Amino acid sequence: MPITKYYPFEPEQAPLEYRGVPEINPHLCVGCGACVNVCPPDALIKIDDYENGTRKIVLDIGRCIRCARCEEVCPTRAIRLTREFEAASNDRICHVEIVELKLAKCRECGKYVDYTERQLQKVLSLIPPGILEFDRIREKLPLCRECKRLLTVVNATKFEEEMRE
Amino acid sequence: MKLRSVWVFHLNTGACNGCDIEILDILTPYYDVERLGVKLVSTPRHAHALLVTGPLTRQTYYAAKRAYEAMPPKPRIVIAIGTCACSGGIFYDSYSIRRESERLRLEYPRTGGASEFLPVDVYIPGCPPRPEEILYGLALLLGLAKKKLSPRHYVGEEFVLPRTQFKAWVEVILKAKIRKELGYFDGYKLLERFMELVDIAETPEALQRLVEEAKTREKDSRIRDGLDKLYSYYLEVVRTYEALLNQKRGIPRIQK
Repeated sequence: MPITKYYPFEPEQAPLEYRGVPEINPHLCVGCGACVNVCPPDALIKIDDYENGTRKIVLDIGRCIRCARCEEVCPTRAIRLTREFEAASNDRICHVEIVELKLAKCRECGKYVDYTERQLQKVLSLIPPGILEFDRIREKLPLCRECKRLLTVVNATKFEEEMRE
Repeated sequence: MKLRSVWVFHLNTGACNGCDIEILDILTPYYDVERLGVKLVSTPRHAHALLVTGPLTRQTYYAAKRAYEAMPPKPRIVIAIGTCACSGGIFYDSYSIRRESERLRLEYPRTGGASEFLPVDVYIPGCPPRPEEILYGLALLLGLAKKKLSPRHYVGEEFVLPRTQFKAWVEVILKAKIRKELGYFDGYKLLERFMELVDIAETPEALQRLVEEAKTREKDSRIRDGLDKLYSYYLEVVRTYEALLNQKRGIPRIQK
């Protein structure tokens, strides 16, 4: 009985537990950058462009060591390690996967803030009804760091004036 | 030029030996790379191709250079095996790695490894790659297989939120707990199954019946235990939520 595999001439599947090539689902990714923070070899990077208001999450399979830490931390389960293993290529650009997302705009000054629109939607969708007042949170959320600080100061001074009266 | 029988020379430029063992694997009768005409030779002077593994340390740079120059000038193929040879891998930032150019923080594709100074023909990423992956890479070089990957760039895709409000909140809390109980690999899959049951069931009692039903069908005792724990955590979260709502309404909490 021949023992040799017929592999390159017939399809082959990796075992169920195999950690193969990672993949980002662009429908689920919110662009939070949790995977970028944990990636040990920096295969995932986050590129913010504040002029055009975009954020790129770039995954390079050629740098990935398949440790699956990104899968563990992803809050929406967008990035997953598939069982796919045929990643050989003659061009490195084929290993790159880019997900481009829009950054949110500050409500006060109109500048782009350092989080995406999808992150906002996700955070608002997480709040269970009846506990927090939605409208007050919605008012505060799309603010850049400067405007948030200003708002805090304004609120504090208002409170002081009220106390004096 | 069509390649027929490629003779290869194995060059280790500071790899951790994982990729080298996988190269040894493809020479065994089970994978038998020699049926593709690939033969391992003992000197670069006889070789058509270099199988490079490793991130190219400072010490191995000179040896790698000499091996490359000793190869016959005509096909002079370089095959980078493993993530380290492709882009530096986990060692990309190490002090002992030779750098041909300045590394930028935000460039892609990521640079580094043996591919920086050798003109690579086929990149085979993996840490280490399976023997099948190496076979596939060699088949790609010989024209026996087709390339599967292509650069992907997604702009303006539709955003999907699987769950919202209370159920999404429950999922976040349960996810953190099941990760501690079962780990991410089994735990997240189980959580997905459990949340589907939550979507179907309307009351906690109906959910309990569904969980019991799922438990009878499950053979793995770890998963059965996980289902039990998920159900108890779910009840805990529901109770906390109701208590919070009661506090909000100003009704005193009833002790059970």
